[in-house]
Amino acid sequence: MTDDHGTIEELLAGHVLHSLSAAEAAEADRLLTDHVPGCIECRVTLEDFRRLSGDLGLAAEPVAPPETLLPRLHRELDEGGTRRRPLRFVAAAGVAAVVSLAGLSLSQNIRANNADVRADSMAEAAVLASRPDARMVDVGPVQELSVPGEEILYVMGDGVPMPPEGSVYRAWIVSDGAPTFVGEFLPDEGRVFLEIPFDPTVHDDLWISVEPADAPTDEPVSTERWSASAVA
Amino acid sequence: MRDVDRDDLELHRGLAAGDRGAFDALYRRYSSSAYGLAYRITGQQVLAQDVVHDAFLALWRAPEAYDPARGAFRTFFLSLVHHRAVDTVRREERIRARQERASNLEPATVEDPAEGVTDAADLADRRIEVRAALDTLPPEQRQVLELAYYGGRTQVQIAEEIDIPIGTVKTRTLAAMRKLRRVLDRSEAPEGA
Repeated sequence: MTDDHGTIEELLAGHVLHSLSAAEAAEADRLLTDHVPGCIECRVTLEDFRRLSGDLGLAAEPVAPPETLLPRLHRELDEGGTRRRPLRFVAAAGVAAVVSLAGLSLSQNIRANNADVRADSMAEAAVLASRPDARMVDVGPVQELSVPGEEILYVMGDGVPMPPEGSVYRAWIVSDGAPTFVGEFLPDEGRVFLEIPFDPTVHDDLWISVEPADAPTDEPVSTERWSASAVA
Repeated sequence: MRDVDRDDLELHRGLAAGDRGAFDALYRRYSSSAYGLAYRITGQQVLAQDVVHDAFLALWRAPEAYDPARGAFRTFFLSLVHHRAVDTVRREERIRARQERASNLEPATVEDPAEGVTDAADLADRRIEVRAALDTLPPEQRQVLELAYYGGRTQVQIAEEIDIPIGTVKTRTLAAMRKLRRVLDRSEAPEGA
């Protein structure tokens, strides 16, 4: 990881502009976790760049939104009643069409399998998804939601195809190229929602693979595998 | 802190407490800026509407996502809109390609962009300052910054598109950010500072 402040500043500028490649975004994530919190110079730079990014939005010509937009929002607020309708929020936020946990078969490492936990997880995902620095990338048939500095990530998807008969999807977190099995899952009517502990100081990637259900879990045996960091 | 930022803070507190009036007030203040930004980035009214809809709904659902200690509400919210718009563009690349836009460097036009726009005076002032700051940038710096911010391009895509080394894109981007930061810091400094 770089510790040159000129290079770090370049990465922070690209980060706030949302214009880094996947590999650089991962490097920026690591900086945001490992270096920036303890470096006052970088903290000031990051906050300045964030303010600047917001201000740049003002340079666009303001345009009145359609008159139907506020009533549409009011209807959704009315339907929601109170806050914390994560299913609807996550769908509405455009980060994933629909999410669900039902029917998943998961190891204990993936927080998953009861309704209370599901609601909590989705609420937390909704909060994360609303942050400006939230990052959503495609990982094969699903999407990964993560936020720099947070030790959690979410895997979600809609319309996810069932793997071939006798196979399952497996999730792996990767440190220095070495994968660690965290759980396996099957879509429920095409829907997937997983919450996975992820320490960005240790882990550097997420893999999703399709594996024979009876395959050992010490490492992926299939070549049908997707990486979060391989996505631009 | 500017008066407008204090007002926004109060409105955000109200929104966090579930005050629909505060939500509507923030919508009235920022919907045109947000929609204009989303429209410039996505180039499609339907997509822009979805971006703004999702941003306001996310704000209502998770108001704690805004931390007042990290700056003004407007910069948080427009950053939120920007990121969502860029994500939308990247997901909707095929739709965007059909659109036959001449260039992302020029603001997209609608039938009557000013119709119904009510820009609060303070926002209008800041808008002028930001545009003036952009005008101070050398053209090559402004180009990479605008391709990234309003075009939703990655730095790799920018390098390919205008045929310069990726290192040059990074250098120009950082130089642009530093200069804007200096110019806008000066314009935001209170009188006598």
